[in-house]
Amino acid sequence: MIVHPSPSQTSVSDPTMMAPPVPLRSCEGAASWQALRARRWYAVMGLMMLLTCGAIVFCLQFGAHALTLAELWSALTFSTAGREDVARVIIWDIRFPRILMGLFVGASLAITGAALQALVRNPLADPYVLGISSGAALGATIGLALGLGSIVGGLGLPLCAFIGGGLSIVLVYGIAASQGQLPMHQLLLAGVIVNAVCSALMMFVTSILNPASLYRVVLWLMGTLSAPSIPALIGIGSCLLIAVVLLIKESQALNLLAVGEDAARSIGVDSDRVQRTVFLVSAVLTGAIVSVSGMIGFVGMVVPHLVRILCGADHRLLLPVSALGGGILLMVADTVARTVVAPAEIPVGVITALIGGPFFIYLLMTRKYRFFA
Amino acid sequence: MSQHASVTAVSSPLPAFEVRQLSFRYDSVRSRPSGGRSAWVINGMDFSVRQGEIIGVIGPNGSGKSSLLKLLTKLVRPQEGTICLFGAELAALSRESISRQVAYMPQDLSFDFPFSVLDLVLMGRFSYRGGGLWNLLGWERREDLAVAEEAMAQTDVTHLASRMIDTLSAGERQRVLLARALAQVPRVLMLDEPTAHLDLNHQLDVCRILHRVHAQLRMTVLLVSHDVNLASQYCDRILVMKQGAVVCIGPPRDVIQPQILTEVYGCQVLVDAHPDTGLPRVSLPAQDRHQTVAASGML
Repeated sequence: MIVHPSPSQTSVSDPTMMAPPVPLRSCEGAASWQALRARRWYAVMGLMMLLTCGAIVFCLQFGAHALTLAELWSALTFSTAGREDVARVIIWDIRFPRILMGLFVGASLAITGAALQALVRNPLADPYVLGISSGAALGATIGLALGLGSIVGGLGLPLCAFIGGGLSIVLVYGIAASQGQLPMHQLLLAGVIVNAVCSALMMFVTSILNPASLYRVVLWLMGTLSAPSIPALIGIGSCLLIAVVLLIKESQALNLLAVGEDAARSIGVDSDRVQRTVFLVSAVLTGAIVSVSGMIGFVGMVVPHLVRILCGADHRLLLPVSALGGGILLMVADTVARTVVAPAEIPVGVITALIGGPFFIYLLMTRKYRFFA
Repeated sequence: MSQHASVTAVSSPLPAFEVRQLSFRYDSVRSRPSGGRSAWVINGMDFSVRQGEIIGVIGPNGSGKSSLLKLLTKLVRPQEGTICLFGAELAALSRESISRQVAYMPQDLSFDFPFSVLDLVLMGRFSYRGGGLWNLLGWERREDLAVAEEAMAQTDVTHLASRMIDTLSAGERQRVLLARALAQVPRVLMLDEPTAHLDLNHQLDVCRILHRVHAQLRMTVLLVSHDVNLASQYCDRILVMKQGAVVCIGPPRDVIQPQILTEVYGCQVLVDAHPDTGLPRVSLPAQDRHQTVAASGML
């Protein structure tokens, strides 16, 4: 017979200790399944952590000036002598902040993309569908047009973008939640409309900009990571940390919502609360990253999709693996962007699309592979 | 119709559902461009569902069957009337306490995301999940897995546990969803068109499993179906709905009658006895006899 679990029996540490009141056969099967699920989670996460560390080392090593592993090691450990001083400056002052920013931005794009795809039950959604990006872009463009680009110690542009993004969040949310609920199709439509209106306004502003400002706007729109300021890094990092905790806390609710909203509610999911949480967390995080990096396409839509093909759709695994995967993709893409035509740079958004697109097509065409599922 | 009220007068347990004067309409600005109120979807329904019975809800398209299920699971709230679940007022019960008593299997689920069958069945354990910082991910406990395994065994999907739901056939999916509903350990199982789009063999599978579950776990089952014959064969009682109101409620022999069905559906039907069970069986008449009943004013 089926039993109700007692809240005290929660340990997963020692599978031999427990004697749950169920038939032996079920219990053995259940225990082995549980061990398998936990083991799989730790294995995949461990692998992703290793890959992330490997990617960081790789990205530190390469750039306009490639370093040997020995140089890298001595620069990292401060055992300096003569020439390594240059390496130390390159690594600690230029590459490391930029790599971290790549990790944070990529992780933010991928994790919000994954959460939004579950929320709107559409695997093609990405963080930009909510209309925040064009709001931020409009803010940045207006800021440049008014000559606010270099106030507040170079933070003027990101600030304008963040304000624009924030206003568009309020607008999208206001349109979508006009009847006290937050219907998802309404949210998507509101995002599309705000996107369109903001783009039109932005084109109007750019048409009257001077050429120098226009160049900055275009570069920003293409999506670039440049060596960030420490406050920006700390700001984005803490936003990301809070977002990861809040989203992962809802991962089982997202699983249920991805299958069907009514069914999820009937099993006990407070869908209104989950939808509001995910929307607000995604919106604020997207606004923050768009303000520092512009529009970097592709990562938010494709990384969750890839992870789903490889690991399945369980958001407890999907969300953290997407975050690390998005971080890795963007770090590596940015390294390529600043290396191939050094000392010039390609916008990183170009690279993400060029690497990711064909790879994604390949995986779609060979969909039978689900390595960890 | 006969209500069999005298049989269980003394030791009757609380009814699973007691519905009084229930009225409901969708309160949306957009549903009426002219600005008027929308029409009542459920219009003054009164009925009760006894513990441990299989009750079928039939009626034409748009008669409010699916809305009734949503009302009974508190997915929408009625404007008027009360619903009691085992004696407790539904409006006062929490989402979680309802989900531990009532499992609802809707029609429109999305299978775009590659969940494994085990993942999907374990979702039924959501309202039993532990919280706290030490279990931020909300992993299921071993008891939850045992319950899920039991539920999968009940619906014969244990062998599919590690398969992805997007690779299953419609019949297998339906059994997996049934397992998910059973993993909620409910007292009432509510199904919206459980056999829609299934071939004969899979229809039989689902019905057999329902019957087995009902018999073994003494579960109350409420199922909405367009298949009048299925309702006739498997339900203890049938509730016939039309335009949001109860037309009649009673055992199949009393309810599945030509004049009632003709009045409700607006077309002529033939009713004879099922060769095995003797229960009423419905068929549509030959085309030349399918006359213009709607025009003849029988409604």
